[in-house]
Amino acid sequence: METIKATARTEIGTNKVQRLRKEGKIPGIIYGHGSDPVAVTLAEHDLDVAIQHGERLLSLDMGGKAQNVLIKDVQYDTFGMEILHVDLTRVNLDETVEVTIEVKLVGTPEGQKDGGVLRQVANEVRLEVPVQHIPEEIKVLVTELKLDDRLNLSDLELPEGAKLLDDPASMLCVVSALAEEVEAEETEGEESTQPEVIGERNVGNEEQAE
Amino acid sequence: MPLMPKRIKHRKQMRGKMRGNATRGNTVAFGEYGLQTMEASWITARQIEAGRVAATHYLRREGKVYIRIFPDKPVSAKPLETRMGKGKGETANWVAVVKPGRVMFEIGGVPEELARNALRRMASKMPVRCKMVHRRHGL
Repeated sequence: METIKATARTEIGTNKVQRLRKEGKIPGIIYGHGSDPVAVTLAEHDLDVAIQHGERLLSLDMGGKAQNVLIKDVQYDTFGMEILHVDLTRVNLDETVEVTIEVKLVGTPEGQKDGGVLRQVANEVRLEVPVQHIPEEIKVLVTELKLDDRLNLSDLELPEGAKLLDDPASMLCVVSALAEEVEAEETEGEESTQPEVIGERNVGNEEQAE
Repeated sequence: MPLMPKRIKHRKQMRGKMRGNATRGNTVAFGEYGLQTMEASWITARQIEAGRVAATHYLRREGKVYIRIFPDKPVSAKPLETRMGKGKGETANWVAVVKPGRVMFEIGGVPEELARNALRRMASKMPVRCKMVHRRHGL
């Protein structure tokens, strides 16, 4: 758990917050546990480093007073490069929380030699997990998967005390045979090169009927 | 055959403006890696198809290529050596309107190095500057 310095924020509104961002600070908000929400400012570099390291749980140092928070949501700019805002929820270290965790497939499946392709259906899973045991990611070894073999979410090795919130019967990954690429059919006359205009044909038919 | 709509409400459209950035479709949603445009432009159906073919051939049909844009805008043109006037020309192209930040293609099921090379080939078929983006997990 990383410790980040935070200060209470009085600057509210687009212009003031944009000025903060130019100074290398990130606006955020802390809420939860029935207390009033508090607007805060965090150092961009510290928050960026914590997120890069896969941290979910932070210890906020607010004027010498420590507070444990969970990163709930992070807003990025259009290009996904800069952090615009962060949502933090208050947590106790002994409570369980709902989090979304990345699932990473490790290794090359055996079925790939027989012309199969590994397709990951679920990239993330929702877990209910004790705050102190939140994993950065869940790794799954797929080297023994043969052609047409699949893994479900129930096959995941969950961290200590974790409970799966998604449907355990839903698919995690599958090694499937490559589908033959269907060559584009030759165009059948000029009609197929132009899309149908909704309503236009009906009018023509009605006129003919009359 | 290049992409185009099956049914449309109107044969011809006005050109429109491409102001601002993409606010939707700007994250990787299906694969692991994506090709994001840095400029606003029209991407023709042929360019999309060329990008798809370039990536599919390079990957030798490994992995999966996702196309996140669809050319649903008709662009009209007048035939050659025609005098001006006599109304708007017939539809010559179908284009997708993209704004900066839009993820146009995605690739999944292949290692990063392979995906990077395939996306580079795709980018060379595009009329815009592009960059590669990763899927952002969890948060």
